[in-house]
Parts: sequence; structure tokens; C-alpha cells
Amino acid sequence: MAEILLSEAEKTFILHGVEEGFRCDGRMRLDYRPMEVETDVVSHASGSARLRLANTDILVGVKTEIDTPYPERPREGKIEFFVDCSANATPAFEGRGGEELGTEISNSLATAYQSSQTFDLTALCILPGQQCWKLYIDILILECGGNLFDAVSLAVKAALHNTRVPKVKGACLDGGTVDLQLSDDPYDCCRLDVSDAPCLVTLCKIGDHCVVDPTAEEETCSSGSVVIAITEKSLVTSVFKTGVGSFHPQTLIDILKVGQTIGLSVNKALRAALLEEEQQGRKKECFGFLK
Amino acid sequence: MDRTATLTKKETSGHESQLGLDTKADRLTDHVKTGVVSQAKGSAYIEQSNTKVVCSVFDPREIPRKSGYSVNGELYCEFKFAPFSCIQWRSHQPDAFEKECSLILRRSLEPAVCRHEFPNFQVDVYALVLENDGSALAAAITCAALALADASVPMYDLVVAATLGVHGDKKFMDPTVEEESLCNILPPDGRSRNHGIITAAFSPAHQQMSEFAQSGAMDIDCATSSIQLLREACESIYLLSQQCLLKGVTKMLKKKQKEIKLDLSSDRIAC
Repeated sequence: MAEILLSEAEKTFILHGVEEGFRCDGRMRLDYRPMEVETDVVSHASGSARLRLANTDILVGVKTEIDTPYPERPREGKIEFFVDCSANATPAFEGRGGEELGTEISNSLATAYQSSQTFDLTALCILPGQQCWKLYIDILILECGGNLFDAVSLAVKAALHNTRVPKVKGACLDGGTVDLQLSDDPYDCCRLDVSDAPCLVTLCKIGDHCVVDPTAEEETCSSGSVVIAITEKSLVTSVFKTGVGSFHPQTLIDILKVGQTIGLSVNKALRAALLEEEQQGRKKECFGFLK
Repeated sequence: MDRTATLTKKETSGHESQLGLDTKADRLTDHVKTGVVSQAKGSAYIEQSNTKVVCSVFDPREIPRKSGYSVNGELYCEFKFAPFSCIQWRSHQPDAFEKECSLILRRSLEPAVCRHEFPNFQVDVYALVLENDGSALAAAITCAALALADASVPMYDLVVAATLGVHGDKKFMDPTVEEESLCNILPPDGRSRNHGIITAAFSPAHQQMSEFAQSGAMDIDCATSSIQLLREACESIYLLSQQCLLKGVTKMLKKKQKEIKLDLSSDRIAC
């Protein structure tokens, strides 16, 4: 994570503020910063989304490719996450600097999407045991302003919602080789069901309380955070800790419960935003990157 | 932990009838020993039924490729499966799963180590799984904490870890490889659709959970109730770890006393 230097006085100010329930930007402890999400921003990708959470800027592109399924899971497609921490975001990511953070985020996404109760990989199967779709989910961190896990997971969910997989009209096995017939119409596509895809919620413990959506300054004040992946059906698909601190078991239980309620509302809000965007249809105003 | 291995339906149903929450039987076969690698500053070996992990800790050294001053020392952790430790051959290059485990290992140990005691230095911790029969990561965490203590790295407390597998209504403490792969797949339609694996690291002296890593999918009640189970399991390993350290220290003291006696007797001869 990008190093931010804070003096002891600044840290105490944030700490006391959180204790009283106030934060530097006027939020309460369990409030998110305003978020902007836009889908279909990259024309060459099968699905894409850009999410801006205050100063954190994430761009996600999904590419589809044909692959052979894993022998032990013949009826499932594949999904692969890759996080690229661009040096544009912060000079600390230069060279191989962002690699560690990148693998941490992509591993956490892979764990959160692991269960078949989250994202249905069987929908990506073309011919069992022979061919399937593989989704390459490439996540680009353009600007880093804290709370990367939440922002990335929301952007990934939005991009998957936007993803269109080409429709396969027919598939047959012709002497060991697979013969696929794709639709001639490029607009003839299948959508993916993302209703069960999880969102990550980071709960950052500052003093005796935990705050949601920490800024980079708040992150430096905390001893540790718990990241929880929650689906719309309120299933917990991944929990892990970040930072150097540790928690009392009871604190952990309380944090998990808070995370569940927050996760549900975040999922709901994202769904509403995506629906609203879709209803605008082709008349939708395109914002892109320059505003 | 072999996540790719899956069981056929027939096998799974057979398993379910045999297994419940059976913790005692597994625990009896635990073995721990410190000071097993002579070249390392500190080392430990743990056997949890068939899972065997050896861990060594080396002297603090300067952090490579770092120019700035860091107030807190760093912990470098590496978790590796031996190529022959799993059902399938493991590559020598660390794969994504091993990298994730290394990260969890570091996150579990960091809160317990007094890192301010060695600023600008890094302590290397290497955990090698010789044989994997499930819960290898938890065994590695317990083992690494013992190795750190054996290396006289200042610590607030030992760290002990346990794994819990969840499959439907059943919970497995310290699951074997088969149980782990069972917990990775969705239970058949029934009452509970919970499944997954939880690894937790715990420092009993301060009642602090230094890591809680969960995968799979389960409801919140299942996750919270598991915390208590894992904590109890950790407390039982804690006693074993403490005894092991105590044994090591008494052995060393006896050896020293003997040396002093020998020195005294040789002095007399010289007189």
C-alpha cells in the first residue's frame, strides 16, 4: 500500500474523531464515500466497468476465450483474475512494487468466487469435458485512494454484469476435434448471472470501533482490518485479515455481523445502480475518463 | 491442501456416515519438537496425524533492496509443499496457493512478534510441508511460532492455529485431505448448504486472533459459531506447544549445569 506519512497529532485527531463517531470527511463510522460506476467503457472487451470511489479509480476489462475445462470439473468454465497495480497510481507500484498487493487482491477475489454458490461457472460450459469459456478478468488500478478491496470487487461485479459471451449455436464432436458454430450476429450474446457474485467489505479497526470504507489516512491509523466477502443471499464466501494487528474473538464476531449488514446494502445499491444504467439503454450518456 | 481433488458422489456419501466432529482422536497423534535443524537459529517439527511440517528460522539480516529506515523489523515467510508431499506432484516454483499460504503465515505471526526489537532487519521463516494430510497451513503456523520461540526471537506470545472444515451440518476439526476436498464442494440438497474451510491463528495469552481465513460459502451464524470452536481447539494445542518449549529449555539448562560442573572439576585438577 502506498505509504502516507502522518504525524502523531494527525493520528490522534482521526482516532478521537472515530471514537466520537465523526470522520474527517463528515461521514459516520459506517458510511461509504460516494461511488460512481459506469459499464461498457472499453469497446474491445467483452465486458468492462469503471468504478470511482472518491480517489480510488478502478478499470476492469473482461475478455472471453475458448479453453478446455479442468479434467476434475468437466462441466465448469474457468475464471481468472489478474490485478495490475499501475505505477500511475502511486510511485510505490513502480517496477515490481505493486506485485505483492496485486497478487493479494487477485487471490482474495479467487477465494471469494471459489464456491459454486457464488458465480455459476457451469454457465460457461460449451461441451462438457471438451470446451468451455474462460473469463480473463483484468483489473487495472488507475488511482489509489484507499479501500482497494471493496472498490475492486464492486468493479468486477459490474464488469461481469456487463459481460456478453458469444452465443454458441451448435457444438459437435467430430473425430476428437470439437466443431463450434458461433452466431454470425455479433450482438447475439448471452449475459451472465451475477446476482450471487460477492462484494468485499473492508472493516477497519481504529481504536475500539470499526469504520467502513477507510481512506488512505485512516488505514495508516488502524492496527488491522477484516475483509468479508458477502453475497446478496448473505452468504459469507471469504474472510481474511489485512494489516499487522490482531483481534479478540468477540470483536471478530461483532465485526462479522456489522460486515454482513453493510455487505447486503452495498450489494443492493450496486444492483440498483446497474439496473438504472441499463434502463437508460442506448441513450445513456457516456462519461469515460475525462470529466 | 489439494483443492483440485474431488470425490465422486459414492465416496462422499460413504464419508458422511463415518465422520462427525471428531477432534480427540486426531489430537492424540500430535507431536512437536524444537531444535531439529542444526544449521538454523531456531527450528521446529510438527506431526498432526499424517501431516508433517518442518520449519526453520534464521538470524536477522538486513532487508534486501530497501533504502529507507523501517522502525519495525520485517518477517519474511515462505510456505512450501515438498514436491512429493501431496497426491499430485508439486512444482518447485511456488504456485498461487502456496503464495497465499505464505501471506497467511506472515499475517498470523506478525502480531505476536516484537518487531520493534529489530528495526531495519528481517527474520526469515521457512515452512516446508513434508507430507500433506490436510490442515497443513495450521500446522505450519503452529510450527513456525515454535521455531521463532526456539530462535529466541522476542515475542508477546506463541501463536497456535487450527483448521475447521464445514460441509452441510457437519464440522471437521483438523480435516484430512479427503475431508478438505469434500468441504470444497457444495453439499447435496438438504437442510444446510454451508461448506468451506476456516483456518484461524490464535494467541491464547492475550486472547487475540491474529488470522481468520475463510473460504467456501456459509451463513454468518456458521462463521461466528466456528470462532468459538477454533478457539477451544487452539487452546488445547497451546498446552502442547508450551510443554515442548519447556522441555527444550530444561534440557539446555541441564546441559549447561553439566558443563559448569565439568569446568569446576577441571579447574581443581589444574590447581
